[in-house]
Amino acid sequence: MTHVVLESCIRCKYTDCVDVCPVDCFREGPNMLSIDPDECIDCAVCIPECPVNAILPEEDVPQDQLHFIKLNAELSRTWPSITKRKPAPPDADEWKDRKDKLSELIR
Amino acid sequence: MDPKANLEVTDTARSHEGPIETDAVIVGAGPVGLFQVFELGLLEVKAHIVDSLAYAGGQCIELYPDKPIYDIPAVPVCTGKELTDNLLKQIEPFGATFHLGQEVSSLERQADGRFLVGTSKGTRFLAKTVFIAGGVGSFQPRTLRLDGLDKHLDSQLFYRVRDPAQFAGKDLVIVGGGDSALDWALNFVQEGPHQAASVILMHRRDGFRAAPASVARMKALCDDMQMQFLVGQATGIEERDGRLTALKVTGGDGVTRTVPLDVLLVFFGLSPKLGPIAEWGLGIERKQVVVDTEKFESSVPGIFAVGDINTYPGKKKLILSGFHEAALAAFGAAPYIFPEKRILLQYTTTSPKLHKVLGVETPVFD
Repeated sequence: MTHVVLESCIRCKYTDCVDVCPVDCFREGPNMLSIDPDECIDCAVCIPECPVNAILPEEDVPQDQLHFIKLNAELSRTWPSITKRKPAPPDADEWKDRKDKLSELIR
Repeated sequence: MDPKANLEVTDTARSHEGPIETDAVIVGAGPVGLFQVFELGLLEVKAHIVDSLAYAGGQCIELYPDKPIYDIPAVPVCTGKELTDNLLKQIEPFGATFHLGQEVSSLERQADGRFLVGTSKGTRFLAKTVFIAGGVGSFQPRTLRLDGLDKHLDSQLFYRVRDPAQFAGKDLVIVGGGDSALDWALNFVQEGPHQAASVILMHRRDGFRAAPASVARMKALCDDMQMQFLVGQATGIEERDGRLTALKVTGGDGVTRTVPLDVLLVFFGLSPKLGPIAEWGLGIERKQVVVDTEKFESSVPGIFAVGDINTYPGKKKLILSGFHEAALAAFGAAPYIFPEKRILLQYTTTSPKLHKVLGVETPVFD
């Protein structure tokens, strides 16, 4: 089991979640965060922190986003750790309600 | 909320020549740690309980004091604070000793089989059994990240106030928008032995997560020119001869201003950090203590782990699971504490012995 960062994070990357993670399991990409499944302890503290509800436990991931489970694991292998909150991208708010953002993901 | 250490407890602990000898030490005063006191108490085991926060309740108090919990059996709804208060009331008969505002930093088995437990405040215990109820870790202050700021920690930069007297007569900048920031700002403006030379409160927006009365009082003091409130984000520092002299603050208007100061107090709240449990020689899986499901004992006999910090096949991080774990862990620990005694399961409804332990009268039925 692990928690998973979903599509809503792409181009929003608010980073509120990383401040509360007790085990520093967040990884930072250019325009999205991921959770390292080997580090996450399922404490769920990050879930309510995300302004766009981008984080869910693995078993709650909706059918159409199941690929994000594998994607989090994959991206976490190369992306660096992030443990402190930083300002969101200036246009984050414009992207927060957009769907189908996977094509926007920069690895 | 700012951790205020219970000086009476820490001083008593400090005045002990050697370690405190005890049957059980509980690490963590969250709901499960508190209920562990209860379950041990029924077996007539007295416990010492340690927590990094200055108050009991753990995540319930720190993360969701006012949010409703719906999945405590037979309690249709209660808040985190209510759950904590009820547990404290429930364990009152057992007289556990609380050691608050300190975190357990070391845990080592001694030659005689007991465990030497040390805390960040120097309290030491020699315990026959240890119950790790550490949840998601100990709550630590969130820090302000600015280049070069860290080296001023504890000389000009503070995340908690231990001794308000050291800030008297200083030019203070207080950052944050919660009760701690407001309370301390008001405290240092007030005439008295701790009064600062000047107080500037800074927050990233003109809205607070604090008691409305404190916010109103702060605004009145600003109108009266006794203190100042700034909206902005800290974006840098200025130094001279190795001393912090000013904070650079970027306002909502995009202009960066320089705010001179002697002392910077930052109150960004607390977040949990799992800390040093990995160094205690216990079997660990994904940073959680591996336990059996018979006694919730770790790989080290005599050390038990209950609540969110443990892991076993099928584990669910629910408060109610933690309560169950605490009950079985107490029975699992009894043979270490009373090797000669036969431990029987008794019911609080009917057992005169348990009534005595609980300090209640045995009801008489006609």
